[in-house]
Amino acid sequence: MSRALRWGLASLVAVALLVGALVVLPFSSWLPGGTVADVPTAEVVNGSAFNRLFPAPEAGQELVFTQEKRGFSEARLKQGSAALALLAISDTATAPEARSKFAGSGSAIEGWPLVEQGGQASALLVADRFQVKVIGQGNGLDPDQRHALLEAFDLKGLAALLPAKTARERKALPAGQQQPVRLPVGTRQTLEEPAA
Amino acid sequence: MSRTVLERLERLPKRDLTVLALKGIGTLVPGGWHNITSADALIADVMGSSDPELIRQVRARADLLSGARHEGYGRALSLYDAVNRSQHATGGLRILSNVGAGIPLLKRMAKLTPASETLQAVDLSLKVGAELLAFTQVNGLPGDSFGDFSASLADYAGEARVRMAALICFDALLPLGDQALQKLDGLLGKASAGDLRRLPSYGQMAGMIPGRGDGAHLSFLRRGVESWAGWAGGFISSLGLTGQKAVRALEGTLGPWAGGMQGLGTFLDAFTDTYSHTGVQAVARRLVERAAAEI
Repeated sequence: MSRALRWGLASLVAVALLVGALVVLPFSSWLPGGTVADVPTAEVVNGSAFNRLFPAPEAGQELVFTQEKRGFSEARLKQGSAALALLAISDTATAPEARSKFAGSGSAIEGWPLVEQGGQASALLVADRFQVKVIGQGNGLDPDQRHALLEAFDLKGLAALLPAKTARERKALPAGQQQPVRLPVGTRQTLEEPAA
Repeated sequence: MSRTVLERLERLPKRDLTVLALKGIGTLVPGGWHNITSADALIADVMGSSDPELIRQVRARADLLSGARHEGYGRALSLYDAVNRSQHATGGLRILSNVGAGIPLLKRMAKLTPASETLQAVDLSLKVGAELLAFTQVNGLPGDSFGDFSASLADYAGEARVRMAALICFDALLPLGDQALQKLDGLLGKASAGDLRRLPSYGQMAGMIPGRGDGAHLSFLRRGVESWAGWAGGFISSLGLTGQKAVRALEGTLGPWAGGMQGLGTFLDAFTDTYSHTGVQAVARRLVERAAAEI
């Protein structure tokens, strides 16, 4: 094979690859995988940061961590072998629609809006970003017990996870790359509510 | 082609050989076993509410989560599928070697199939390895300390009691006898990388097993089995499980069995999907627990 032919073939292959990549690029969202809601993982608080904020179990009870992922941590509150409740903290950066239900909230714990979901679940939105949830299991818990559990979380510590993180995000991402709904912080609502 | 976890749950059989075998094993375990194949019922159970709007939201979130590659729920299912295929293949090989040994013409073929106990031990070690890997895929590494992590493992094992009982009965006690756990390490010691490669699931799992090369993978599996065997020994003695007891429990649902214990184990391996059946149910539950907390 002559030298020119080899170069020609090589450049042909290179051009074909380039064109192929450009054609496939718009379809990348069809490919399986990626994080939930396609949020870059760096923008989501890791679940390990939530673990120490869970309430300490009372005497006779046991707190068993069951799942820890990026933006999520869940534990099961047990008494003996029976599960009493699921306790979870999640970062709503991957599920912005979860925040909308708090708009109609009538009550609050430590100033953060509180919402009931069905007969066994109570949810709290901290710093307009982190959702804390208690779901009664087995025989169930009454609302007061669930609210007491929500209060026992380190809510101040959870709210404090926010500012350092967003400062870093703002630096790291140029304005053009940010999606409009991803960063809920700094809205007027957030700033007013803790004070109320 | 890829289905979401909840779709897989709803496509599970409601009544077939797999379900009957699991029901039989369920009679040995306190609390029994329920064949959950309805996603809506599972969600209602976790949420403690049957509000259709809430169920719809949880389901939408769960489907989103199971489609996301980084979340690991789909990956755990592919591990279970790989192991399930291997189980069928091993069962088939063992049937072949049993049949082959009885027919003069096929004797040469029987020599080609590996010694069935070693193969069975390797198959069991792959299943235990898959269980450990699937656990980290589904649950992450929960908690801040080793204590938290082992508590989480123990809790998981408690939830998956029937699943573990089925694994112990079908893959250890029936094929290897009541001294299965004591024999296991010796059998794995004899296993070579060739035995490992003979199992089709190994090819699919190899990329997810830590370490490089068949030797390293084999020693990872051995260590996994070693730590599992300690727990399984306690489980067996607390429930008083024996091969005979398992056979009797299975006869209660499957009907009388004339062949030996080993034959029953081989038969169930070749023709049932107990491992992936309970696997899908376990992953679906964890997925729904997460989705319920995130909506």
